[in-house]
Amino acid sequence: MSDTTYVQLLDLACGGLLLTAVLVLWRRELVVIIGVFAAQGLALAALVEVLAVHEGSAELGGVAVGILVLRAGVLPWLLRRALAQAGPARRETRPLVNVAASLLAAALLTLLAYAVSQPLVTLAPSPATHAIPVGVTVFLIGFFVLFSRRRALSQLVGFLLMDNGITAVGFLTTAGVGLIVELGVSLDVLLAVLVLRILTTRMRETFGDTDLDELRELHD
Amino acid sequence: MNLAQLGLGVAVAVGPLSAIAAILVPQRIRATAVGAGTAACGAAGAVSGICAVSGQTFSLALPALLPLSGVMVTVDTLSGVFLVVTGGVAVAAGIYGIGYARHGLDGRLVQAVFPLFVVAMLLVPVAASVGTFLVCWELMALFSLLLVLAEHQRRPEVAVAGRWYAVMTHLGLVAILIGLVVLAGNATGDSFAALREAARHLPPGVADVVFVVTLVGFGSKAGIVPLHAWLPRAHPEAPSHVSVLMSAAMVNLGVYGIVRVGFDLLGGGPRWWWLLVLVLGAASAVYGILQAAMSADLKRLLGYSTTENMGLVLVGVGAAGMFASAGNTVLAGLALAAALLHVINHAAFKTLLFLAAGSVLHATGSRDLDALGGLRTRMPATTAAFGLGALAASALPPGTAFVSEWLLLQALIHGLPASGVTTAIAMPVAVAAVALTAGLAVATFVKAFGVGFLARPRSAAAEKASESPVSMLVGMGLAGVGAVVLALAPTLVLPALGSVAARTVGSADSPTVVDGVTVRLAEVAGSLSPLMLAVALVAAIMLTVGVLRVVATRRARRAARLWDCGAGPLSARMEYTATSFAEPLQRVFDNVLQPETDVDVTHTRESSYLVEAVAYRRRVPDRIERRLYQPVLKLVSAWGRVGRRLATGSVHRYLGYGFYAVIAVLLVLAVTR
Repeated sequence: MSDTTYVQLLDLACGGLLLTAVLVLWRRELVVIIGVFAAQGLALAALVEVLAVHEGSAELGGVAVGILVLRAGVLPWLLRRALAQAGPARRETRPLVNVAASLLAAALLTLLAYAVSQPLVTLAPSPATHAIPVGVTVFLIGFFVLFSRRRALSQLVGFLLMDNGITAVGFLTTAGVGLIVELGVSLDVLLAVLVLRILTTRMRETFGDTDLDELRELHD
Repeated sequence: MNLAQLGLGVAVAVGPLSAIAAILVPQRIRATAVGAGTAACGAAGAVSGICAVSGQTFSLALPALLPLSGVMVTVDTLSGVFLVVTGGVAVAAGIYGIGYARHGLDGRLVQAVFPLFVVAMLLVPVAASVGTFLVCWELMALFSLLLVLAEHQRRPEVAVAGRWYAVMTHLGLVAILIGLVVLAGNATGDSFAALREAARHLPPGVADVVFVVTLVGFGSKAGIVPLHAWLPRAHPEAPSHVSVLMSAAMVNLGVYGIVRVGFDLLGGGPRWWWLLVLVLGAASAVYGILQAAMSADLKRLLGYSTTENMGLVLVGVGAAGMFASAGNTVLAGLALAAALLHVINHAAFKTLLFLAAGSVLHATGSRDLDALGGLRTRMPATTAAFGLGALAASALPPGTAFVSEWLLLQALIHGLPASGVTTAIAMPVAVAAVALTAGLAVATFVKAFGVGFLARPRSAAAEKASESPVSMLVGMGLAGVGAVVLALAPTLVLPALGSVAARTVGSADSPTVVDGVTVRLAEVAGSLSPLMLAVALVAAIMLTVGVLRVVATRRARRAARLWDCGAGPLSARMEYTATSFAEPLQRVFDNVLQPETDVDVTHTRESSYLVEAVAYRRRVPDRIERRLYQPVLKLVSAWGRVGRRLATGSVHRYLGYGFYAVIAVLLVLAVTR
């Protein structure tokens, strides 16, 4: 792979990451959001694969396959199953921050991410490190989704978005997180999703809804 | 691969295998499998320790096992001593647990965690890098916490004890973490070898901070006053075979930490470090045994006695440090050898005592000495075991603790002319503290044994008690053999301990010389032969009894009723209880203990001159706890109340706090850079 192709593919993958993150903010239907999340998993796996091919590292290639299976396969499948159990109330109705304001916020967060990641980029300038701000942006947008959405399931997507951002930054900075670290993180995420799914089911059984504002009554 | 390595490897393999077995095998044989596995694990650890003490040391680095820092293991002679102690205690506790766990403690979780706790304790003294040490330390804390909480559904006090333990052990971990990280920050790596190298040219003050902070952390694990508050709560509430592991093995690792950091990593230090250790040790010894003497709860009494014994060990460690800083390394070696011997002796007799107490609890369901009594006829083996343990703990010849306390006193007394005004003041005070402790210990264990096991039963449960199953008796028997061997033949272990202590304080030759069955001290006049002493004692007792018999048979013997002051037959209500036995001591130490006494007199309705009933209640609250902990707890809860205003219950608000905090930090970063 020539250097130009490498940079173009890298940029394409990062563009995919950023675009899908913004799409999660834009769309309201949970089904679509999960689809978009799966697409982001694909973009992340592609990003790691590109890095793996560039460095000729088989280990990193294995990690990419793992990411593909977990983030584009297992996690969206789990989310879809949770959604199918949720019944007809499928539409994300009232986000705390409306879509236009959310998109504006995403733009501001992107600017902030670019501003704060400059020292990291100048530390070791390379095509990969130049893409760090994208990872940071995905992280910040994920956090924004986490606190501005009402339904438990879309908050879950926000959490996973954050994790995608962290993973992306990890691979872009070091070009090779240890296999054990990545394995541990992935297991953690899988566990968190399973726990949150159980929690969502319990919430629906107890309150008949997964609107987190209903939880206010649990306050000690 | 030498035998030390093999033993440790077997221990580390067998422990987790037993845990897996605990999960897989059916309930019927679970306790047996886990008990056998734990005992095997302990035995392998002990073998490894014995080989290490006799010189077979090894190091191992596994950089890939733990991310970022890797795992480093070194077995040297000092860690060997603690491996032997932990392993030996685990053998007795494991076998004992086979019978004890049938008592409703054979759930999967408790049984699986038990061997893992032993493995974690075996790994702490062999860890050779900051990362490895902290991971093992934390695993040990977590596993022991899970075991303390084993019976939380039966008794609400268990949950309270668990909370105290969880908070204090983690604050201790934070202290150790800070100390070791500060030290590692001045070194090239986090291995102990690098820390040793770095300690030679530390900036002034850093070594002091490291030592004091780690002393706080390790001291809280060893149950040193004023950080002991968790110990008399958690040790009694844990299942008895777990109490044994905690009280006889885990607390020792606090001492190990102090010795390892103070002598080995920091290479000794100024005199005030060790004076601090000595003062804390002496205070713990006296305060611990005073509280034990007042306690009417059998396991709580043993818990306070652990604080006392760890205090004595720290007196030895502190004295060793002071002598070493004055340049008298032979005497320093003697004091440290006495401390290490006391660690081993304490492990032996505390194992025996806690196992016997567990056996009583198993048979009667009560730990309250006031409600026991008269167990001698129904539980002869347990009574013998506790009696032996009580003798061993009392620092009277031919008891186990006598040898180590004698060595300790020898070191302190001969240290007097060593050097300096501080030493001249500290040593006599320390001698007085050790002597007072020894005297109070006798009273305490006479109370525990006499009130708990002799005379008549004071409750229906004590009346119906029956002897424990064989496996529990075997566990007690092993601990008893250990205590007897250490009492009569300390010459078996002293040469090894002497050379370990000498190496630790940087002395060339061993402080004790063993001559057949006699221990002689190097460079100072003093020798002791525990075996001859015991033989002489037994001979003297037999002679006295024989003479009395001969004299007595001259006169005719007749059986008569026991004199009861004409008040009718003697009943169990007339016996000494633990509370009444401790009353004279309580009066003597009234100012220190400040007991709370309530006397409620109920008069008959007809006349206020006639008394219907008198109720007497006495409580001896832990004064240090009240003065030191209550204000802190109040402050924390006031803080918590303020914090609750921020927490309205809205999840989005909480997430918003996090989001805005991250954004604010990033903005500050972006602007100020």
